[in-house]
Amino acid sequence: MSCQTMPNAAAHPAPKMMSDGVPGEVRVVAFLCNWCSYAGADKTGMNQLPVPDELSVVRVMCSGRVEPTLILETFRKGADGVMVLACHPGDCHYKEGNLRAFCRAELLERMMPQLGVDPARFYFDYVSAAEAEKFSQATNDFVASIRALGGTAPGRYAK
Amino acid sequence: MNKQPKTAVILCTCSGIITEKIDWDTVRAHLAEHPDKPVVTTDELACGAENLEKLAAWLKEEKPERVVVAACSPREHERTFRTLLASAGINPYYLQMINVREQVAWVTADPAQATRKAARLIGAALKRVRHHRPLVERRVPVRTDVAVIGAGPAGIQAALTLARAGRRVTLIEREPFFGGMPVRFEELFPNLECGPCLLEPGMGELLHGPESEHIKLLTLTEVTEVKGSFGNWQLSLRQQPRYVNPELCIGCMVCAAVCPERRENPWNCGGELAAVDGPFVGALPNLPHVDATRCLKLNGQECGACLAECPVEGALDFGDTIRDSVVEVGAIIVATGAEELPVVPPAFAGKDNVFSAYAFERLLAMTGPSGGELVKGDGSAPASLAIVQCAGSFDDAVSYCSGTCCQAALKYAHIAAAKQEGLTVTRLIREQVVPGINAARLFGHDHSHVVRYGGLGDLTVAETPNGRVIVCGSNGAEVPADMIVLCGPTVPGSGTTQTARLLELGLDDAGFIAPIHALSGSFLSPLKGVYLAGTCRGPGDIREAFASGTAAAGVALSELVEGRDLTVDPQVAVVDAEQCAGCKSCIRVCPYKAISWDEATKAADISDILCRGCGTCVAVCPAGAITAQGFSRAMLRAEIEGVLS
Ligand code: SF4
Ligand code: SF4
Repeated sequence: MSCQTMPNAAAHPAPKMMSDGVPGEVRVVAFLCNWCSYAGADKTGMNQLPVPDELSVVRVMCSGRVEPTLILETFRKGADGVMVLACHPGDCHYKEGNLRAFCRAELLERMMPQLGVDPARFYFDYVSAAEAEKFSQATNDFVASIRALGGTAPGRYAK
Repeated sequence: MNKQPKTAVILCTCSGIITEKIDWDTVRAHLAEHPDKPVVTTDELACGAENLEKLAAWLKEEKPERVVVAACSPREHERTFRTLLASAGINPYYLQMINVREQVAWVTADPAQATRKAARLIGAALKRVRHHRPLVERRVPVRTDVAVIGAGPAGIQAALTLARAGRRVTLIEREPFFGGMPVRFEELFPNLECGPCLLEPGMGELLHGPESEHIKLLTLTEVTEVKGSFGNWQLSLRQQPRYVNPELCIGCMVCAAVCPERRENPWNCGGELAAVDGPFVGALPNLPHVDATRCLKLNGQECGACLAECPVEGALDFGDTIRDSVVEVGAIIVATGAEELPVVPPAFAGKDNVFSAYAFERLLAMTGPSGGELVKGDGSAPASLAIVQCAGSFDDAVSYCSGTCCQAALKYAHIAAAKQEGLTVTRLIREQVVPGINAARLFGHDHSHVVRYGGLGDLTVAETPNGRVIVCGSNGAEVPADMIVLCGPTVPGSGTTQTARLLELGLDDAGFIAPIHALSGSFLSPLKGVYLAGTCRGPGDIREAFASGTAAAGVALSELVEGRDLTVDPQVAVVDAEQCAGCKSCIRVCPYKAISWDEATKAADISDILCRGCGTCVAVCPAGAITAQGFSRAMLRAEIEGVLS
């Protein structure tokens, strides 16, 4: 079920790039649903657990709102990694948006090699409002893996 | 490209908590260079009452067109700052909050990094707010009428409570009579109080008391469709024809006496009913009804015996038809009850004088098939009675305890022994659960032997020279069993399952309707405006039914108040009819059925009352015709661009 099980098909360049003037920094966007994952991120703060500096959170009401094109667009705009975190199955505030998000994530991962994006740069998971540790762990692990992959070349995903 | 509207940025120190990590002076210096030239203020504690006043004054003076607040989680204070904007005369939806406390200051070790991240997020917010549009909260009046589905003790109690408060209630019952299960039980645990006697005052009030003006009881009626949401539900109802005019019929049952057609009485688990008849003596409302599948006349045969003998002209009405109607209510109370699952293990199948708990209840009842006499099928008196408790509970299919069978079994033991001197009564138990102060009254005074058995599969039935016995495989005990009662588990009724499906309510592992919280919100469903009462929430006794009926009515009264309007969140999805390609994908995916097809515009249309703003439809629309107000594509794109630049 994990997105990380997908074959790492695309070769990817790993040039260092500039972000906010700091060499070598990668940029990762995390789409969090308002009810579980965003609350989980808040809880991570309350528990004072680390979240990588490179991670920028974009709040959406439901993970089901995040369509593949928005994710691809995020890569095109220069993200080196994208996360979508949703409520656990059965816990969606909107009944089933998280499952739609999951299905789309599965499809997107399959498409990504053809589109020239390394699927390892995308991560989908479930994080509940209580799972501060999981949020901290998942974001740190993912950003670390993106750091290892390196930044995507500027202009690689041309507008 | 939108021109940057004048934007105000409020940086909160959170009494120094945020500024432990984030240096607002650096951020201010950074913002001073920003091409958008926002006006910036730093506040000690932006959410504090006095500070809010100060900030409102500042905003009034600066007259910004957009406001960015860098503070704590929007989950905590978005409402506070929306109110702030409104008090400064700015549209509240021109706000964007940046969560620099929980998601930056508290999770970042290095202050320089935290400061940089905060600046980056504020930059993104500045881009985002360009695309904000003024949104207006619509207020809609709520209906205060209530529909109660199920007219057992919980539903009756809820309806009466609401009616006493002056609310109009539609009480929907699919049976031809009302009162639920206990009205068919002659004696109730633990005081052997008469079920109908306990319920009848309430039922009488409901039919004839001052409350009756507020309550419309619909028997033989089922809900076929539910639309709407809190404050504005529409229930489609289908009432089966009774073929008896309730206004005219005097309930004399002459029709039943002369009817030539007979059928088995499903309510009594035995005995007969005429095709036109009442289910049992004392059932309310006191009206017969015609079973259309059995009535000769309705099946094209020459009959009319009842018509000929009925003393009231027009009381029988063979022209009666199905009645479809729609009720519009603010709240729905689900009180659809539960059922006994009649478990008959193979060892008992086909044996005579084996009863389910419900069938035995009816056998003991004066209005039941034997007139309350404890007799076997051949009319003779039993010498022994074996009551098998947990008959199907604690098994794979039903793993839980139904909580009321021990009570019922104690009661049966007591009543049966009282009805027949010298009767040997044995209760076969797996567990015994009779808590509560009152339970002790029957416990220990039930005159029964108790045998513990392992599982239903261990039990066999054998004929011995001394009569029929149940043999317990595990310990070889032989329990005399002329008459056997199998106390089956309590399971969700078909009405509960059906209603849950109509309302799209979730079920718990056992199939009962899952409340919002098992302990603190057991009368509340996850849907606002839908409340739960009685055994649709799980097994329970009549005391629980009354209590939960009152509770559900109380919640409905407190949440739907005359004159207190409902505020419709404007952060909903809207369709641009011009762009809609007509694929109807959105209609299929919306989890709230908020989208309908508008024939006039040939486009999808979203109800702002039903829409919850999840954005699922936005993501699915291939034409890009749907906008989630507050989370539009343009806003998200700008924000993404912002965090990446
Ligand atoms: S998904 Fe879009 S195009 Fe299709 S019906 Fe809905 S609004 Fe119209
Ligand atoms: S935003 Fe969600 S609730 Fe609203 S119409 Fe779209 S899918 Fe339905």
